[in-house]
Amino acid sequence: MKLRLNKTVAAVASSALLLMAVPAVGMASASGAASKPTYVIGYEGPLSGGNQQLGLNMVFSVQLAINQANASGKLKFKLRLATYDDQGDPTISPTQAQSAVHNKSLVAIVGPAFSGATAAAEPFYSAAHIATVSPSATRVSLATNGWNNFFRVVADDGVQGPADANYLTKTKSFKSVYVVDDGTSYGAGLAQAVALQAKANGATVTSATVPGTSQCQNGTASATEYSAAATQAVASKASALFYGGYYCDLGLFLGALSSAGYSGTVMSGDGALSPALIQGTTPAAAANGVLLTCACATSTNTKFNKAYAALSHFSAANATYAPESYDAANAIINAMKSLKKVTRAGIVSALHKLAYKGMTKVVKFQKNGNIAGAAIFVNQVKSGTIVQLGLE
Amino acid sequence: MGAFGHYLAAHFDTLRLEFWSLFVGGVANGFLYGMVAVGYTLVYGVLRLINFAHSEIFMSGGFASYFVMKAMIGSTVPNGAATIGLIVVGILVGGLTGAIIATLLERVAYRPLRRRNAPKLAYLISAIGASYFLFNMAGKEFGRYSISMPQPYINHNVFHIFGAGVQLYYVVIFVAGVIMLFGLDRLVATTKLGRSIRAVAQDAETASLMGVNIDRTIVLTFIVGGALGGAAGYLFGLGTGVVYTMGFVPALKAFTAAVLGGIGNLRGAMIGGLLLGVTENLSVVFVQAAYIDVVAFGVLVGVLLFRPTGILGERLGRAA
Repeated sequence: MKLRLNKTVAAVASSALLLMAVPAVGMASASGAASKPTYVIGYEGPLSGGNQQLGLNMVFSVQLAINQANASGKLKFKLRLATYDDQGDPTISPTQAQSAVHNKSLVAIVGPAFSGATAAAEPFYSAAHIATVSPSATRVSLATNGWNNFFRVVADDGVQGPADANYLTKTKSFKSVYVVDDGTSYGAGLAQAVALQAKANGATVTSATVPGTSQCQNGTASATEYSAAATQAVASKASALFYGGYYCDLGLFLGALSSAGYSGTVMSGDGALSPALIQGTTPAAAANGVLLTCACATSTNTKFNKAYAALSHFSAANATYAPESYDAANAIINAMKSLKKVTRAGIVSALHKLAYKGMTKVVKFQKNGNIAGAAIFVNQVKSGTIVQLGLE
Repeated sequence: MGAFGHYLAAHFDTLRLEFWSLFVGGVANGFLYGMVAVGYTLVYGVLRLINFAHSEIFMSGGFASYFVMKAMIGSTVPNGAATIGLIVVGILVGGLTGAIIATLLERVAYRPLRRRNAPKLAYLISAIGASYFLFNMAGKEFGRYSISMPQPYINHNVFHIFGAGVQLYYVVIFVAGVIMLFGLDRLVATTKLGRSIRAVAQDAETASLMGVNIDRTIVLTFIVGGALGGAAGYLFGLGTGVVYTMGFVPALKAFTAAVLGGIGNLRGAMIGGLLLGVTENLSVVFVQAAYIDVVAFGVLVGVLLFRPTGILGERLGRAA
C-alpha cells in the first residue's frame, strides 16, 4: 500500500516536472507574452566533501547575482541556478559536466572551481559550446588547450610571481631582494618566479631555502633553524625579503627576523594569506607591515557584503573566491543581456567581446580566456589585521 | 689570494658578525636541547629504556604555560619585576605539568609492563603509543595550528658579544638553563634522592636489597626529567609558539644530544645539547640553512663511529 502510494506520488511528481520543463526549454512564445523564457546558469564546484566551504562561498555569490538580475526588471528572460557538485574531484567532474550539458535550458557555467576538475570537464563543455567562467581555477595550462569556451576571472599561477617581483622592484623600487622558499613545490615555484623577474628588473637577488618545519606540518625541519636563517637574511642587507611558503612557517620566520633586527619589507604570496599568520607569529606585532599577495580579492564592498551575508548567513569577508564568483556570474549575465537571442554559443562569443566593470576588477578576457590586465591583489598586515591595499 | 680568500676579506665583517650571532643562537638552542636531553638520559639511566613519549611532556609543558600566560598577560606588555615573575611562573607551570604528565606516563605506560616483566620492545611500543595518543589529543583539543605564546617582555638586544646582539629571549634561556642544569647536577650528585637514582642506575636489584625503594625512585626520576622537559617546553614556546607537533623534532634533537654525550650520562646530555645546538647553527656559515639537520645528524653518526658510547660515555651511576 505504502509502496503503491509512493509510486503514485512519484508518477504525479515526474509528470508535473515534465510539464514544468517544457516551457523552460525556450518555447516562451507558446505560453504567452506574460512569461519570459527561463535560462539556467549552472555552478560546478565542490558542494560536499572536504572542500565544501569553498564551493559554498562561490555558490551563494552566483545565487546573489542571479537574484539581483531577476529583481532588476531589466532582463528579457528569467534566470535560475542549477548546481553541479563535483566535490572538486576530477573523476566526478566529467559526469557532472555531462549532466549539465544535457540540461537543455542551461546556457553557461560559473566554474568549475578546481583546476583538475576543470581540465576533466572542459572537453564536454567545449563540445557543447557552453561558456565556463571559472572564479578560481588557476592552473596555467588550462588556457593552452584551445578551448574557445574557457574563461577565468582570476589570474593564473604564472602571473603572481612576476607581479610580486614587479611590485617590489618597480612600484617600491627595492634594489636588493632576499628570496626565501620553504622547499615545497608551491613555495619554491613561487619564489623562483619572483627571483627570476626581480633579477630581470635589475635587482640584486639572493636566494635561500629554509625548509618547512614539523611545527607547521609542511615539513620535518626543526623550528630552531629560523634564528640562523634570520641571521643570514639580516647579514645579506637586502631591503626586501620575499617568502614563498605557507603562513605557519612564515609566522615563525617573522618572529626570528624581528628578534634578529631585520627592518626591511617582507612579502609573501597567497599561501601565507591567512589570519592564522598573525596568530602564529611571536610576537604578533612582528607580522605588522608584511605584504601578502593573492589572485583572490577580499570583498570591501559593503553593499555586496550585506546582501551576501543575508543570503548565506556567513560573512563575505572571509569567503575566499566569493567576489570572483559574483563577477563571473555577472559577466555571464551581461554577456546574455547583449544578445538578441540567447544561445550557448552566442554567450561564448559575447564573453570574448565583453568589457564589464566587475566588483574585483574590469572583466575583459584575453583570446585564450585568461583575464586581461593586472589581477593580483596586495594586502598588508596592519595592527594585527589583514587589509587589502588594492591591485598590484 | 684566491677567490675564496678575496671573498673572505671582503665579507670579513659580515662573516664575523654572522658567526657570533649564530654562535649565540646556537648556545640558546643547545640549552633547550640539553634541558630535554637530561630527561631521556635520567630515564635511560634507571630503566634502560628510551622514553619516546618525552616529546609530549615537552609539548604539554608548552601548552599549560601558554594557557596560564594567556590568562595572566593582558594587552599591555609587562616590564620589570612583572616580566621576571611571569617567566618564573611560566617555567614553574611548564615544569609542574611536565612532571604530572611524566608521572602519569610512568603509571600508565611503563609500570604495568614492569610488573609483568615485559620485553623491552613492549616498552618502546607503549611509549610511542602514549606519544601518539597525547599529541593527537592535543591537536584535537587545542587546534592544529601554531599559537603564539603571550610575551612577558618586548624582545630586544640586551648586550653585544663581538658585535653580535644577544636577545633578552636568549638571556632568559641561558639563565634558566644554567640554574636548572646546575641544580639537577647537584641534586643527583649530592642529595639522598640523587644517591638512590645512582644506586638504581648502577644495579637495581642490589639497590633494592640495600633498602632503596625502586618504584619511588623511578617515579621521582620521571618527575625530575619531566619537570625539566616541561619547563623547556615553555621556553621553546616563548620563542616559536606552541602547537601539538612542537615536541617531535626538538625531542628528536635532544635524544640525539643525549646519545652524542653518552646516553645515561647527565653531563654528557648537557654537553651534547650545547654541542649540537652550536654545530648546527654554525654550519649555516658554510652551507644553507636547509642543511642544518643534515649536519646535526651527520655529526651524530660521525661521533658514534669513533666513540660508540658518546663523548663522555654511558655512566649515570657514577657521581657526576
